Amino acid sequence: MKALVRYLVLGALLVMVGALAVAPLAAQDGDGGIIIEGNLGGDPATFNPIIASDTASRRITAFIYPGFVAVDPSQAVIVPSDPPLAGGAIVQDWEISEDGTVYTFNLRSDMSWSDGTPITAGDVIYTWTAIQAGAEGIVDTPLSFVIDPTGETGILSVEAPDDNTVVVTFASAECTALGNAGVLYPAPAHVLPEDVADLNDAEFNLSPSVGGGVFLFSEFRPGEQVSLLANEDYADAANGVQSEGFIYRNVPDQTVMVEQFLAGETNVIDGPDVSRRTDIRAAEGVQAYDYPGNSWDYLALNLADPGNPQNGLDESGQPIDQGNHPIFGDVAVRQALAQAIDVDSIISAAVFGEGERMTSFIIPASWAYASELPTIVFDPEAASAALEAAGWIDEDGDGVREAHGAMFAEDGAPFTFTLYTNEGNTRREAIGTLVQDQLAQVGVQVDFQTIDFNTLLDIMDSQTFDSLILGWRNGYPDDPDATQLFTPASDVVGAGSNFTSYSNPEFVALNNQAKALPGCDPAERAELYGQMQEIFQQDLPYIPMFAINGMYAAGGAVEGFGPYPSQLYWNVDTWSVATP
Amino acid sequence: MLKYTLRRLIQSIPTFFGITIFSYLLMTAAPGGPVAALTFDPRTTPQQRERVAAQLGVNDPWPIQYLRWLAGDDWMRWDSDGDGVADSSFLLPLDANGDGEPEPPGMRRGIIRGDFGRSFFYRRDVMGMIGERVAATLELGASALFFGVAIGVPVGILAAVRKGGWFDNVTRVMAVCFNAIPIFWLGLILILIFGSWMGVLPMGGRTPPALTGGIPPIYERLQYLILPTFVLSTGAIAIYSRYMRASMLDVMSQDYMRTATSKGLASRIVWFKHGARNALIPLATFLGPAITGLLAGAAITETIFSWPGLGRFGVEAVKSLDYPVVMAVVIIGAIATMLGYILSDIFYAVIDPRIRFD
Repeated sequence: MKALVRYLVLGALLVMVGALAVAPLAAQDGDGGIIIEGNLGGDPATFNPIIASDTASRRITAFIYPGFVAVDPSQAVIVPSDPPLAGGAIVQDWEISEDGTVYTFNLRSDMSWSDGTPITAGDVIYTWTAIQAGAEGIVDTPLSFVIDPTGETGILSVEAPDDNTVVVTFASAECTALGNAGVLYPAPAHVLPEDVADLNDAEFNLSPSVGGGVFLFSEFRPGEQVSLLANEDYADAANGVQSEGFIYRNVPDQTVMVEQFLAGETNVIDGPDVSRRTDIRAAEGVQAYDYPGNSWDYLALNLADPGNPQNGLDESGQPIDQGNHPIFGDVAVRQALAQAIDVDSIISAAVFGEGERMTSFIIPASWAYASELPTIVFDPEAASAALEAAGWIDEDGDGVREAHGAMFAEDGAPFTFTLYTNEGNTRREAIGTLVQDQLAQVGVQVDFQTIDFNTLLDIMDSQTFDSLILGWRNGYPDDPDATQLFTPASDVVGAGSNFTSYSNPEFVALNNQAKALPGCDPAERAELYGQMQEIFQQDLPYIPMFAINGMYAAGGAVEGFGPYPSQLYWNVDTWSVATP
Repeated sequence: MLKYTLRRLIQSIPTFFGITIFSYLLMTAAPGGPVAALTFDPRTTPQQRERVAAQLGVNDPWPIQYLRWLAGDDWMRWDSDGDGVADSSFLLPLDANGDGEPEPPGMRRGIIRGDFGRSFFYRRDVMGMIGERVAATLELGASALFFGVAIGVPVGILAAVRKGGWFDNVTRVMAVCFNAIPIFWLGLILILIFGSWMGVLPMGGRTPPALTGGIPPIYERLQYLILPTFVLSTGAIAIYSRYMRASMLDVMSQDYMRTATSKGLASRIVWFKHGARNALIPLATFLGPAITGLLAGAAITETIFSWPGLGRFGVEAVKSLDYPVVMAVVIIGAIATMLGYILSDIFYAVIDPRIRFD
């Protein structure tokens, strides 16, 4: 017995020591190598494109299934299919009815599922049926946002007169139509449940047997990785998919993710922490690509009375009196605060300079960005003068201003308010601290608090806050429509995204005009959005901060790496990884 | 012994339900909720948010939510005429979201009927997801426990035997250090040294990246176990060595040790045959808490080392307020703790003849 125990212990030690000599990664055979991306996004919840709602699931399904309409990555706009630049989608081109409400999409006939079944309009109709069921709460799909319960906007119907044609009827002529139609991903109807009600728990969701994208599903190791194999029959790869496959490694820690990339355990990284980007750029052989990002941070100011939150509109669509925030109800105060915040220094400190200033609510990367609109100039003296003019004066000399004839605050009330952000987000925590310091210089006392993300969202939705720092990540391709963020219809307590209660009829009218502009000419729309950005910068429901620069990087062994902004993998079929 | 074990198991049932009620109350009382995070997208309409809240049932009072989790909701809202539409309800309104249409009939059976619910975030049955991760946690926990005992016990014995010597002093200092060093810091430092600088060990994961072939057998991926096992076992090594040292010192002052020495036995036999065997007895009581300690430590270690286990899964679920997953992990932790303590007591009585089952 003693001998057995000794041998067991000795054996275990020998195995451990022997393992030290094993290379961390077993070299993979194959000509094209394997693309391995470390990602913080967690496990994909599903591999079904209809149900996919989280970022990780969408990332993987974008590889496995073709899209509906193609996007030109060089311009970030939806265009007729034109591989290799604008490929991977089933729609060849389309015609629009005179009234702009009916889109007839002509489908390509050269695309098929991996089991040889042609991809047809029937596969699109299946998705539409699931989207309709989603609107009734039967299927867990995030795509049902294209159906407006009131029938005033969005998609009304989708029909397939033949296998190669899809006719989509919209409730009204809107320039967001093509973007909305993009949800009609073809799904392999011939292997999915006949009754869409069974989609939620379909076996297919976690082990899709059929695909039609650049890669096909291979296996899923929960909590660790998803692996995909090259689709040898992928229609848009002129010379075949070059790599052997793609592996998505689930890495929950940012530091470890960067170290794994630098050590070569992974060969692609998307959006590494700003504090490590210099290291990555300096690493030998690494190919880095920086681009203006589509995530942006803002400081939101509650314009309405936080003690009595009200919806923006009543049931008949008439405005409701929401009261005024004692401090931020006055636009002159909001403008003064914006002048007192040095956003450039915040960019340097919070994101190591890896950000671009926002002038308004449209990101610098957007085609609708008003590049001629100047940023708000940091001028604490002008801010102090404006605050005094607005009735906020520090008469008792304690360093904090009090109301003396302010528009909505009682006389004597100190200029103090609460500023929230989500704890654990070091970038936003840095922004909050700096804002607190800078506003203290002009006699404004900020009670800065970091709280749990879910709690913050709850407070945000309830509209009981003074101010908060949060961010948005825009979609791709991005449409600047502001309906959900800044119109009274979306100012719904407990549920709407216009949680600052911003309401400006001129802004709403311009938004409606830009959204439904006949012909949807981008230049004409951009002009309208330019006016909206100007109004926004005057009204300031948000004090715009900055868009965080994006960064992609690939190891030196990766060939074919050539991203566009927000489009890392547009040409992934041409990528290969040299193996030692 | 059987009677004793059964009695302990029956006694643990109210404890178990107490834990579940308390955990559920704490979880739902926490500010915020899962709906806002699940629908944090400007494209989401207020109606969609309300629908999601109704589907998840998170707007119901917490006792109703707890009852649903415990006993299911197929008896709370059901379809009595078989047309697929709910037409009867008990405790729940037929139309929870106020859209004029009844909600779908309840489908859940509750944990007392073996249904742990459906993850809010992943929209999958929780038990299946737990099953996918439990092997990884057991693998890491068992290896950490093995090394904790295999290193901690001999170190404790030697430190006691060489009391006051350099070995004793060094191990005492190291035990304090290992106990004091935060796991996350130690993990990151080891990753930097062995993974990044020396490149001899992988920096995370449980298996090598591969396109096909599933999870390879453990002997082909031992290198992935080394760092997380070391980090997770440091606390155990420190505690076991200190505990074993104290126990051994206590035993060494006993009369039978003096007797053994005086009858001329070799020191090695006195220390290890007479001393260590008896000093090991109190250690048995440590096994129960050790299991709980390893589960707690696994939450951090698994996150740092990208280990696909239950601890990390639980932490992610707490962050996203995925109630069914959180409760499943709580139940597993509670059962493991209770069984660990019962086993400790039984084991103690088995190996120590002075203890009798009563």
